[in-house]
This record gives sequence, structure tokens and C-alpha cells, in this order.
Amino acid sequence: MYGWTLKPVALIQHCLFVGFVEEPTPVHSKSNGKASSGSLKTGGKGSSFSKGEGSKGKAYSGGKGGKGSSSAVVPTKSDADLKLDLDIPPNSRILMNCEATELLQEIHEHMAILSEDPKIKIPESFDKAFKYAKDGNHFTAASSVKQALEPLKKCGVNDGEICMIANIVPETIEEVYALVPSLKANRSLNEGPITEVLAALDNIKAAK
Amino acid sequence: MFFHIVLERNMQLHPRHFGPHLRDKLVSKLIKDVEGTCSGRHGFVVAITGVEDIGKGLIREGTGYVTFPVKYQCVVFRPFKGEILEAFVTMVNKMGFFAEAGPVQIFVSNHLIPDDMEFQSGDVPNYTTSDGSVCFCLISSSYESLHHV
Repeated sequence: MYGWTLKPVALIQHCLFVGFVEEPTPVHSKSNGKASSGSLKTGGKGSSFSKGEGSKGKAYSGGKGGKGSSSAVVPTKSDADLKLDLDIPPNSRILMNCEATELLQEIHEHMAILSEDPKIKIPESFDKAFKYAKDGNHFTAASSVKQALEPLKKCGVNDGEICMIANIVPETIEEVYALVPSLKANRSLNEGPITEVLAALDNIKAAK
Repeated sequence: MFFHIVLERNMQLHPRHFGPHLRDKLVSKLIKDVEGTCSGRHGFVVAITGVEDIGKGLIREGTGYVTFPVKYQCVVFRPFKGEILEAFVTMVNKMGFFAEAGPVQIFVSNHLIPDDMEFQSGDVPNYTTSDGSVCFCLISSSYESLHHV
């Protein structure tokens, strides 16, 4: 069992995983679940997508058992295709990792008392999610992060994008545009505020 | 990405639980039934943070159980298409690598790994670039129930 922290340097633009239904395409019952053909749209583990930015442009003609495309060159994903596709119900609020850490910390302290009762079992997903939130939290206080990010709302940055910036903590403006390509559309409007926000976040980052 | 969300669920309670602590029994059952579960729509329910409202109970004909509509707040974790996720690699092989982001399992096929990352077998298998680091952007996801019909 190995553990690496993946640090944002090079961008791999395509992946798949076992998680939740995004598209109403049927998951093949015989698939191993780790390669959803519906999500790849071409079927099978292999992908007919070409690599994204920063790649050498190698294209596949169908991979392993996939339907694939017979052509050698496959169009790359555009910035619009890589836009964050948040589909959340109206009565919900996005939580940054720092906010989630504080919330889960309170629940964890409460659960520590409950866990003394042998009948009560703490779900494994709670421990994993709590650890993930703590490891992904780079700040000491969520309130100061929220305050620092407030100016971005005025220049058209949506809640999901703000949350991603807070979670990833990019160091430069170019990194922000590389990781959140949807912001490039309004670069002239948001570049200044984002640069200021990055400087503000740098000041409130916790020492690790 | 984490969310704080309000969900609703119909909870069934056996008459033996009726009494002065009925609400507590309902909340305990809700926590036991919901925490740790995963749905395609909302993702993993990490923890219940509060109960907003418990509606009037309706007796089910024939069984005697009572159904209560319960509105509760909870923290959920769900990744989205286009999201940049930080994940921890758990296994590497020539087919690709497995990673975890909280409770979510991730697999990145070797076909989707850039050419400049080569698989290195050995005691510690890995994919290596010249600078040795990577992150990924989600383009799709799928949910599979463990219960196959």
C-alpha cells in the first residue's frame, strides 16, 4: 500500500473512477466498475480521447475492447468541456475543505463520546472524509478564507470555482487559469482580483 | 467537494420504540441508516449535522409500523465533472493507478496518463516524470451499487 500526495504541476485531463452517476448511461453489469464504459462514451477501459494540454498529442484508436474511434486523431477537450459541472440541489451549500474540517471536527469530538458505546459504529467513510478534509485544509480559520475570497464573487467567479481555488491553493495566476480553465473567459475582469486573493490566501496559510 | 445539504427521508419505526424518547429513537435510527451510505445523486453521506423537522407519523396498514417524514441536514462528499481533485495514490500497476480522495475510489487508466510519465516496475511501482508530480481533472464518473440483481 503506497501513499503519494498528488501535487498540482502537470494536468492530466482525463480519468475515470468508481463514484457516482453523472450521466444516465447504463453501467454494464459485467464491467468491473472501475472503468465505466458509459462515462467514456466509447466503451471499454481504453479511451479514444486524445491527451489534453501539456501532452504530446498521442491519440488512441480504441484501447482495450472499447468501441473506439477508427481515426488516428481525436479532438482534444476544450476549456468549455472541462468546465466544472456542478449539479447540486438548491437547498445546499458548497463547503471548502477548511469549512468541512471545522464542521467534521465538532462531529468527531461528539462521536468520540458515542464510540465508547459498542453498539454504535462510526462509518469508515466519515474517518476517510475527515482525514481528507484535514489533509486538504491549508488554513487555520475558515472565516478568514471566506473573507479573503469574497471579492471574487463580484467578478463573476461562481461558488464551485471559488471552492476549488480555496481547496487547491494555487500559487500563481497562471496556475489558477490552468486548473480552472472556465475563468479564462473573463480574464480581463477577474485577473486583478484573483491575484489579490492569492496574495491574501498566502498570508493566512497555516504553516505545515 | 463537500456540501452541506438538506435531505428528506421517510423513517419507519416499530411501535415498541414509542414513548417519551421517540424522537431520540428516530434520530438514532436515521443516523444508523443514513451515515456512511452513498447515492448517485448526492454522493457519500459523511455525517448528519442536525434534524430540521420530523413530520407527523402515519400508521402503515397491516404492519403497525409508523412512517415519519424526517428532514435533516448532512455533510456529503461528491466529486463533479470538471473538478480538480487532490488524491492519494494507493496502488500502481501497469494498467494504471488507483487513488483515493476521501471515501471516493479513483482509477486512472494508463491510456489516460500522458506519454511523458512512464511506468517503472520494481519494489515501488510508479509512474515517473522528470519532476515527479501529478494531479488530475475529472471528466466523468460512474456509480455502481454493490447489489447486483
